[in-house]
Amino acid sequence: MPQNEYIEESIKRHGRRMDHDERKRKREAREVHKQAAFAQKVHGLKAKMYNKKRRNEKIQMKKTIKMHDEKDAKQKTTDAVPDGAVPAYLLDREGEQKAKVLSNMIKQKRKEKAGKWSVPLPKVRGIAEDEMFKVVKTGKAKTKSWKRLVTKATFVGEGFTRKPPKYERFIRPMALRYKKANVTHPELKATFQLPIISVKKNPQSPAYTQLGVLTKGTIIEVNVSELGLVTTSGKVVWGKYAQITNNPENDGCINAVLLV
Amino acid sequence: MSSIYNFKRIQPVPGATDFLDIVLSRTQRKTPTVVHPGYNIGRIRQFYMRKVKYTQETFDEKLSQILNDFPQLDNVHPFYADLMNVLYDKDHYKLALGQINTAKHLIDSVAKDYTRLLKFGDSLYRCKQLKRAGMGRMATIMRRQKDSLGYLEQVRQHLSRLPSIDPNTRTLIVCGYPNVGKSSFMNKVTRADVDVQPYAFTTKSLFVGHMDYNYLRWQVIDTPGILDHPLEERNTIEMQSITALAHLRACIMFFIDLSEQCGYSIKEQVSLFNSIKPLFTNKPTLLVITKTDACKLEDISPEDRKLVEDVCKDGSVELSQLSTYLDEGVIETRNLACEKLLQQRVAMKLKGQKVHDVLNRVHLSVPAPRDSQDRKPFIPEQIAKRRKYNPDDPDRPRLERDIEMENGGAGVYNVDLKKKYLLKSDEWKYDVIPEIMNGKNVADFVDPDIEEKLAELELEEERLEAEGVYDSPEEELDEEEEKIKSMAREIRRQKQIIAQESRLKKGLNRPVIVGSVKASRQTKDDFASHLEKLGVSSDVADTRAKSITRKRTHSSTRDPAEGMARGTSVAARAVSVVRDRSTMGLSSDKQAKLAAKKKSMSQRKGNLMARAGEADRSIGTKMPKHLFSGKRKMGSTDRR
Ligand SMILES: Nc1nc2c(ncn2[C@@H]2O[C@H](COP(=O)(O)OP(=O)(O)O)[C@@H](O)[C@H]2O)c(=O)[nH]1
Ligand SMILES: [Mg+2]
Repeated sequence: MPQNEYIEESIKRHGRRMDHDERKRKREAREVHKQAAFAQKVHGLKAKMYNKKRRNEKIQMKKTIKMHDEKDAKQKTTDAVPDGAVPAYLLDREGEQKAKVLSNMIKQKRKEKAGKWSVPLPKVRGIAEDEMFKVVKTGKAKTKSWKRLVTKATFVGEGFTRKPPKYERFIRPMALRYKKANVTHPELKATFQLPIISVKKNPQSPAYTQLGVLTKGTIIEVNVSELGLVTTSGKVVWGKYAQITNNPENDGCINAVLLV
Repeated sequence: MSSIYNFKRIQPVPGATDFLDIVLSRTQRKTPTVVHPGYNIGRIRQFYMRKVKYTQETFDEKLSQILNDFPQLDNVHPFYADLMNVLYDKDHYKLALGQINTAKHLIDSVAKDYTRLLKFGDSLYRCKQLKRAGMGRMATIMRRQKDSLGYLEQVRQHLSRLPSIDPNTRTLIVCGYPNVGKSSFMNKVTRADVDVQPYAFTTKSLFVGHMDYNYLRWQVIDTPGILDHPLEERNTIEMQSITALAHLRACIMFFIDLSEQCGYSIKEQVSLFNSIKPLFTNKPTLLVITKTDACKLEDISPEDRKLVEDVCKDGSVELSQLSTYLDEGVIETRNLACEKLLQQRVAMKLKGQKVHDVLNRVHLSVPAPRDSQDRKPFIPEQIAKRRKYNPDDPDRPRLERDIEMENGGAGVYNVDLKKKYLLKSDEWKYDVIPEIMNGKNVADFVDPDIEEKLAELELEEERLEAEGVYDSPEEELDEEEEKIKSMAREIRRQKQIIAQESRLKKGLNRPVIVGSVKASRQTKDDFASHLEKLGVSSDVADTRAKSITRKRTHSSTRDPAEGMARGTSVAARAVSVVRDRSTMGLSSDKQAKLAAKKKSMSQRKGNLMARAGEADRSIGTKMPKHLFSGKRKMGSTDRR
């Protein structure tokens, strides 16, 4: 009965077969041809996946080759300006570069400022009433149709209680209610799962804002206390606005970016 | 009962990416793949829900299998639990399995959420997106288990190569410093082929070998060498020996090398014995001195000798010497160890409760002597007189073996097997018998009393023939049967024809005559002949054919005689003819009578007991609640 490292043991005792190395070398040499044959044969989804995998492999390969190459490539000297006396027409070159940097900085700052007033998703697709709501037929003979079922994700407040079902005009199903959103901080480039406090504005219509419908582009208020942000006066920021960037009803989750 | 743990049955654990491929491709293969936006939305939802559910089920199945396959450290024998702790680190092992379990639950809850969301999907696109998101989340959960799965696969491979040690059977454990000759001893007494090399830690894990002693199976465990230092400093290799020593109720054979060829002094070896002595309590222990060809107990210096003898002073430890090079004392040592263990096991059993269960059932009875006569076993005189076979006796019976020896021994002389054949004539003994003759196997035809059997058979045949068993009686069909048979034949033929016709009709690529048109084209004679075939009188056909061919407004020209023929008055015909439904579908009077009789029979019981039949008027619920309760304001009483 073989036990423990019996394969290694056997190799140690009896060695490998005579042509082991030769066969191994040949198999390795054949490998590229096999891959090529497969790449030619494969089609459809498999081909797509295979090509993606190959592409990544090739990029990785190129990178490693480059890394090894750099060892013997000559580095350019950083200091382009020669030492010693410099002709007059070259003297102000450095100053010029600096000026350029400055103007760039101003532009950048303006951009950032401008960015503060705009939201990441300025435009949203209009959503028609019949896409938003499903008509629920009521009455004994199912002839009445004044009830609506909201088919999009919704947020209902903390202490929400339904109206008596008989009079409830808008039904917000439990399955589509959300309490948390995955919020990305655009500068930190980090994502946190934060509780939603309220729906600030649904760009589709104020009625939807009232109902707490969460669609793409909706501005929500999230609880950022766990991020530990502070205001300029040193107070801890509690609520902050964020805009929803995905279609929650299609993804089953809410992704948003923080508006800073 | 043997309690062998078989860890070889654990299924391979695929890596994270392979895992995903397996599960997702299975979903693709095993669930429907075609769906269209035009389908009923319920059907579309169901299509995608099934995909999500199926994926989750597959994940669940695969993950539960992993969880079931891997042994739980709390359930296995403490020896294995400790060994696995030493080899794979208990915490790591439990964590990995725990993570797999969590992943399983997470996947379950994701699937639950998404099937719930799918119930509100209102378009194919939305359903598809939800399915995609759901499966993507399951895949992400699974991808995070990459490390756990990799670790478990490694554990599986190692586990499957672990020697199968039965923790409860008779066991000898060989232990001691490295290089003292443990593995050499193991190779001598069992067939386990353990590596022997002149350097330390050749044996890096436990090895098990089996042997027989006293008609019993024994297992011998070879352990890696142990060094003399505190438990915390011991490495994995040494810890395996320690687990074996600690958890197996076995005979401990502590090997000691007096020649110091192993590189450790006698003092060190003895101090190791003393430091691990707590592990030997209540176990038979042997101090085995090895390599006696190099150095014996008598040869060493008095101080060292005193050290060694001090170990055995209290009597619980016995001393034994052996040399695997000279094959000296190996078997004696083994036997001594086995005996000690056997004694201890028997003593243990006698002490336990179980022995009474057996002893209660065993009863040895000796008959009381009825007189003073001595009753010896009976041996026939002939047997008692027979001389015992003695190879040195010159006139002993000559054996085949003696003949063989005289003629040059085995390999030269062929033993004569044909000598004692019992045949009619002795000359035939050495005849060559062909195996195949005329292309037939002779053995197939060999039967000692074939002639007799053949003769017997022939006799019987003659007798039977004479008795007239074989001449079959003429079967006489009576008329009735003949008729039925011919009818059946006809029906079968008709059926075939109909089947063929319909088959012909089916695969046609030309305009087909519609049934009603075809019917109108049929003549009266066709109909009559058809009815004739069915056994109905053809005058019915006449009237029926007339009614078919009749134009819509023929009532004025209708022949009054025709009306009479139906047995109703003209006046009565003004109202529609009421046909008697009770005789419809019955072809003959006989059948009608039978039907009537059956009907009355079935009604008899109910009538006798004055029961309500199906023709009686009945009111199911006298006062339906919904029609009688509540205030009445407006509307009628039967609808509210
Ligand atoms: N002189 C002598 N050398 C032995 C004897 N038995 C084993 N050896 C040598 O001792 C060395 C170690 O033996 P091994 O069985 O591997 O010891 P282990 O490490 O305790 O398993 C090997 O080089 C053997 O050749 C013996 O009886 N006499
Ligand atoms: Mg060894």
